[in-house]
Parts: sequence; structure tokens; C-alpha cells
Amino acid sequence: MATILTVDDTASMRQMISFTLNSVGHEVIQACDGKEALQLLQGKKVDLVIADVNMPNMDGITLVKSLREQADYKFTPILMLTTESQESKRQQGKVAGATGWIVKPFNPEQLLNVVKKVLG
Amino acid sequence: MSAHLSLTSKISSWPRWWLSAAVGMGISLAWTVPFVPWWAALGSSLCAVLTLTVLAFYARRQEEALPLQGEEVLEGHDAKHVLEQVDDLLSPSKDIEQIPQVDDVLQSMAADNQRRRLEELMRRWMDVGQRYGEAALVLRREIQSVIKQTEQATGTIASSFEAVINKATIQARQAMELLEGTQGAASDGVPQSLKDFIQVSDERLNKMADEVVRVADLSVNMVRELDGVQNRTQAIDGFLLDVEKLADQTSLLALNADIEAARVGEHGRGFSVVASEVRRLSKRSHEFSDRIRVHLKEVRTGLSKTYGDMRTLSAADMEHALKIKEDVISLTRSLEGKNREVAETVSRINEISKEIAQDVQNVVVSLQFQDITSQKLSGMLEPMDDLRRTLYHLMQETANLDKGLLKNVPGNENWLSRMRDVPAAEAEVKLTKNPEQDLRKVHGAAGSGPAVELF
Repeated sequence: MATILTVDDTASMRQMISFTLNSVGHEVIQACDGKEALQLLQGKKVDLVIADVNMPNMDGITLVKSLREQADYKFTPILMLTTESQESKRQQGKVAGATGWIVKPFNPEQLLNVVKKVLG
Repeated sequence: MSAHLSLTSKISSWPRWWLSAAVGMGISLAWTVPFVPWWAALGSSLCAVLTLTVLAFYARRQEEALPLQGEEVLEGHDAKHVLEQVDDLLSPSKDIEQIPQVDDVLQSMAADNQRRRLEELMRRWMDVGQRYGEAALVLRREIQSVIKQTEQATGTIASSFEAVINKATIQARQAMELLEGTQGAASDGVPQSLKDFIQVSDERLNKMADEVVRVADLSVNMVRELDGVQNRTQAIDGFLLDVEKLADQTSLLALNADIEAARVGEHGRGFSVVASEVRRLSKRSHEFSDRIRVHLKEVRTGLSKTYGDMRTLSAADMEHALKIKEDVISLTRSLEGKNREVAETVSRINEISKEIAQDVQNVVVSLQFQDITSQKLSGMLEPMDDLRRTLYHLMQETANLDKGLLKNVPGNENWLSRMRDVPAAEAEVKLTKNPEQDLRKVHGAAGSGPAVELF
């Protein structure tokens, strides 16, 4: 099973994502913003990153850009999980290098399907 | 002449006099015109006015002359000097404030009214601004408190829910393992499940019951065989009687031979010996027969006892075997019933697990409300802060516009000082959330697009 990093400033969202992914056996690590996520990922490899867009300290789009600059995370799937649904925001995410866009609230089955798909 | 002019000017500077004269003349004219010709009336009025003027002038002179009765009277007695003094007295004094004109008074009153109204409006404006500014601060604190409390409560709910689901999952898994264990297949002849156990037990118990029945059948056969043996012993008994009869006849024959030998005397001695031997043989034959009969009797007794035992045994075996078989069938049916119940329970547990999985999904979706609600609440802070900022700037501008005017507005300084504290409160909020981003979040949530999109 895969190791997945979830980045969200809301504790309950992190809990729900972890709970959903743990239920099928994935290992989940948590970060509360982009800055903490980057610190956690130093010297550690994860198979997938699920990040919120609007967060304090460092937002999700900046996190994606920073990760894509690192050789280790050039091709790691990154899913954005956010309340944002405007096309302009999606485009920003796409341009930054995000793999997919999921609008909150997520359905656990739907999330697991997407995770399965992007993990191959 | 100059004195006259001076006096006239003094009199003309006194408008009340002219006003009284004009009014008197008017009344006199109005009173006499209906009764006399107009020129007579006019003349009469003019005379009356002239008379009044002279009387008034004289009276005034008397009044003005009164102070002169003191020291000043002694200083000069000439008319010119007196007139100069009168002129001095009649000229406007620098110590006396000039009475303003009516229009000026009215304008001043209107300006005062406007000023008071403006002050009243300012007071109300300040009051409204102050109350809304304070209300906005209270609202901000309340919203932040709601966000914090909701976050804590949701965290607790989520943790408890996770714990409950984990325990329920373990419980269901263990129950399923227990129940599925009773449904599993046998391996190497050892039963692994209740179903298998029932099958193996059924087979073995049936086999045992069949064996018991077969043994019982064998017993019956043996009893039948024993019957045959007994009949044969009875036949042997008959044969023994024949043997005894033959022995008796032989003994009788030997006795006859002995008698005949005694009759022939010495010559029959040898024959008598033979006869004795024959009699002895007959006796021994009898003895053998008796001994055989005794043994035969013992055999018959033994057989008879064995026959009885065998009959009892075969009957009991059969009965027992049939009872066992019946019990085995009953037990097997009971176990099969239990097994069906277990299978139904397993199926129900599976259904419940599916229902729980669906409920879990619903709860996971619902528990995300806190995130969405918090973002919306945080989004409300920015317009509120805008309102407070606008109020603050407007109040500052108002204060700068006319400081003298605002001096009269009570509580103004406190209010403004409180408004100046606003940036501090804002800084505290910005530490936790970026309102600009929050606002975008709220607007973003209202947009549309697919829930999931892979680029």
C-alpha cells in the first residue's frame, strides 16, 4: 500500500482524509500547511500528495510549484482537494503541475477511486 | 442755523420720534377726512404734528438739561457749548455695544440653528459609527469563537467516530471470522467448520449405527445356528439311547451265553469267559453312554444359556442401534438448523457491514461541513473589517474637517481612540487567517465545475 501526504489547515479534514485512506490500508502522514509539508518531505518519499489550496504560510499552488522543482517530486501525483471550483483556479493548479482537482466535500468512495487511478 | 440743523439731525437720528409723528398724523388725517374737506384735514393734521413736535422738542430739551444742573452747568452757559455737549452725549458711545440689524440677527439665528442641527447629526453619526464599530468588533470575536469551538467539537466528533468505526470494524471482522470458521471446508479429514463437522459426524455415526445393526443381525443368525446345534444335541441324545439299548441287549445276550455255558459244564467255561467279557464291554458301553449324556447335558445347558444371552443381546443391540440412528438423525437435523442460522447471521452481518460502510461515507462527507462553514465564516470577517475601516476613515475625515465642531460632540475622543485600535485587532486576526484568501474561498464555493477532474 502507498504512503500518502495530506496537507490541510483544518484538522477535521486531515482526520477524514486519513480515516478514508487508512481504511484501505494506505499509510497517511499529515501537514497543516505547505511549509510544513515541504519540511516533512525533505528526505522522505511519498507516493501521493493530497493538498488544500487555501492555507496560511504557504498555499497549495505554491506547494505544487515548489514540489515540481524538486527532482524527487517531479512526477509524483499531486491532487488538490479544495472548496475552490472556479475554472481560473483550476487552470492555476493545472499550470503549476497538479495531477487532479477534487472539490470539497469529498465522497470517500470517490476519493479512493481517484487515488487508485492516480497511483496506477 | 447750524444749531437748528444739529438739533434736527439729533431728532432725525431718533427714529422713534418720527415714527410717532407719522402715526399721529396718519390717525388724525384718517379721523378728520370723513367730516371735513381733505385740505382742512391735512392742515389740521400738520398743525397737530407741528404742535407735538414743538412739545416733544421742548420736553427733550428739558430732559437733556437736567444733568447740566451739576458741575457742568457751571463750566459754560453759552448755547453753542451746550449743543456741543448734547452732540457728544447723543453720539454713539464706544462702551455701548451696537444693536445689530434684524436681518443680521435672523441670519445669525438660522446659522445657529443649522449649527445645532449639524451638531445633532454629528452626534448621531458618531453614536451610530461607535455602535456599529463596537458591534463589528463583538461580531468578529464571536465569529472567531464559533470557528474555534466548531473546530474543537468537530475534532472530537471525528476522533470519536474514527474510534467507534475502528472498534466496529474489529468486532465485525472477529464475528465474521468466528462465523465463517463454521462454514469453512474440511482439510485432511479433520473438520474445519460446523457444516463439515456435521457431515463427518453424520457419516461416522451412521456407519457406527450400521455396524451395530449388522452385529445385531449376526447375533440373530448365531441364535438361529444355536437352535440347530441344540436340535443336533437332542439327536445325539436319541443316538445314545440306541447305544444304551444295544448295550442292554448285548448284556442280556452275554447273560444268556453265560447260562448256556454253565449248562454245558466244563466245555462251556471258555465260552463263559467270552460272555463275561461281552457283559463287561456292554457295561462299559453303558458307562460311556452315561458319561456322554452328562457332557451332552452340560453342552445343552451351556447352549441354552448362550442362546438366551444371544437373543437378549441381539434384541438389545438392535434396539440400541435404532435409537442411536434416530438420535444421530435428530442431532444432525438440529445441527443443520443451527448451521442455517449461522449462515443467515453471516449474511445479515455482511448486509449490516455494507450499510455501515454507506453510513461511514455519509458521516465523512458531513464532517467536512466544519471546514466549509469555517471558511464561510472567515470570509464574513473581511467585509466586516472593511466596514470598520471605512467607518474609521470617515470619522477621521469628519474630525479633521472641523475640530471645533467635533469638540462639542461628547465621547468623540474615546470613540476615535477606540477606532484607532482597529488595526491591532486586525493584525490578531490576520495571524490565523488571510481574509483575502478566505473571501476568495467563499466566492469560489459558489462557482461551478466538476467535483473531480484529473488533468
